[in-house]
Amino acid sequence: MARLEAKTDVTGSVWKIVTTVGQQLAPGDTVMLIESMKMEIPVVAEEGGRIVEFRYAEGESITEGEVVAILEG
Amino acid sequence: MSSETGSETARPSQFESTLRAYEVRLAKALAMGGAEKLARRKTMGVLNARERIAYLCDPGSFIESGLFGTSGTFPADRDKTPADGKIAGFGKINRREAGLVANDFTVMGSSSGATNGRKIGHMKRVATQRGIPLVFLGESSGARMPDTMGARGMGSLLGNDGAQYQRMREIPWASATLGLSYGSSSWYAALSDFSVMRKGAVLAVSSPLLASLAIGEKVDPEELGGWRLHSEVTGLADMVVDTDEQALDAIKVFLGYLPSHHNEVPPVCPAPTGSGEGMRDIVNLLPPSRTQVYDVRKVVRTIVDKDSFFELKARFGRVGVTGLARLDGRTVGILANNPMVKGGALDTDACEKFTSFLVLCDSFNIPIVMFVDTPGFVIGTDAERHRAPGKIMNMMNALSLMTVPKLSVILRKTYGQAYLNMGGGRNSDEVAAWPTAEISFMDSRFAVRVVHGLELGDAGFDEALAGMDRANEVWDAASIFAVQSVIRPQETRDYLVRMLEVHQLRLTKGVGQHLMRAWPTSY
Repeated sequence: MARLEAKTDVTGSVWKIVTTVGQQLAPGDTVMLIESMKMEIPVVAEEGGRIVEFRYAEGESITEGEVVAILEG
Repeated sequence: MSSETGSETARPSQFESTLRAYEVRLAKALAMGGAEKLARRKTMGVLNARERIAYLCDPGSFIESGLFGTSGTFPADRDKTPADGKIAGFGKINRREAGLVANDFTVMGSSSGATNGRKIGHMKRVATQRGIPLVFLGESSGARMPDTMGARGMGSLLGNDGAQYQRMREIPWASATLGLSYGSSSWYAALSDFSVMRKGAVLAVSSPLLASLAIGEKVDPEELGGWRLHSEVTGLADMVVDTDEQALDAIKVFLGYLPSHHNEVPPVCPAPTGSGEGMRDIVNLLPPSRTQVYDVRKVVRTIVDKDSFFELKARFGRVGVTGLARLDGRTVGILANNPMVKGGALDTDACEKFTSFLVLCDSFNIPIVMFVDTPGFVIGTDAERHRAPGKIMNMMNALSLMTVPKLSVILRKTYGQAYLNMGGGRNSDEVAAWPTAEISFMDSRFAVRVVHGLELGDAGFDEALAGMDRANEVWDAASIFAVQSVIRPQETRDYLVRMLEVHQLRLTKGVGQHLMRAWPTSY
């Protein structure tokens, strides 16, 4: 099982987590939505995998490049 | 060819041994680095240099130049260097003439020597003077050692062609990095208009071994110059593929969009059946809320000729989308903001990507179409450290120096300086907007704070916001002719095809002024 990291490509705050721990995602699926520049910007799973943990909760601030969730694939 | 010379007819028997010797030499030259090395490559699933040429060129069209060249430095190397490790010649790619240099890694790692340097120089001169594209199939270990060692080696092997690394964009250059590429191969990839890289290949200044010696730590080849680095971080690779064949196919497709030289227009292909068939519902590709994002590439693919969108640098500067495509059979360059990434806010990588693409299009008489949906530039300390003002102005300067037709279509929002960088005002020959467009200096929700000093929840905030949102609608811009057309989204393809027809460069037969022909090939 490879450990995969989902990273945000923008600085902002976690607006909505649209998945749950244990959920299986396909490549390109949205993990969570970040609010930045008044837009809802998705963090997508680059590769398919099962969500193991979230590193941030809704409302928390994040910086570009940070890992927001861990997947196993 | 006639066998007659003068009045005498040559008798074959007289020259039998000479001709036999020719065949022996020919077989030796074509044997490359030997059966063992060639077999090893086959096991790895990698094509050799001659197989690559055969795959790229139309059958029977390749004619070689310099087949009997060998190393010219040490006599002992002559027998070990068929074609001196770099195969050069001319071939037809989809029935169009091209010059080729294919590195043969089985011969001394295709290292750069005196003879093969002359061969490359010849190919560049002929291709440029006769107006045909040049293709480099890169895989080389760099300068040949010990030939280049010492003052005599340097003096005799390097620097004898002052135009060796000059780019004036008279003809398209395309390169494929198909293995370990150091020195010369990397330089030509960086200088090319199109650079495709096979996964597993390495593109770097020098080898991991040399890099390790220089900095005293072990260097990983992938980290030094692998496909991820060049497709995602440096942008030196326009495309990444899995196999040699896919890389060669990509070169064929790329060249199909370009003219053979800068004084002609790109070839025209009939638009395939089914082009424009998704136009009726195109507006539904926009999400219902202005705060939601979408992938602009779906919009682009719907508008251009079916299956014609050839995306470049897809993994680099992803907030900006660039690619070649066709509209009613004619080549166009597409630039678009992609809200799916960073909300479409332009960062410095995207500025570089746009700049290099504008230079490519202008240099080869390719009109551009911009699809606009951006909240502006990414700002902040990180952007400044990445020289944002310089990158933004490079792009702006490139756009203003273009002499090919420039059309822009505002899909949704366009704010601030990015409005100009994305073709707003007189920075396009025609600006069209969808009724969904909004234009302003910044997003209303920021502007309410700046102009009125109101925060969300304050009395009067909602009214002030609604007033600003109304003022951002496209109609005020259309009423003062700052936007030339407001069009129904489903008419966008027809509008662009017609406007490209109107804006053809009739006075110069489609050829622009190429004011950026000597601009850098990377930034």
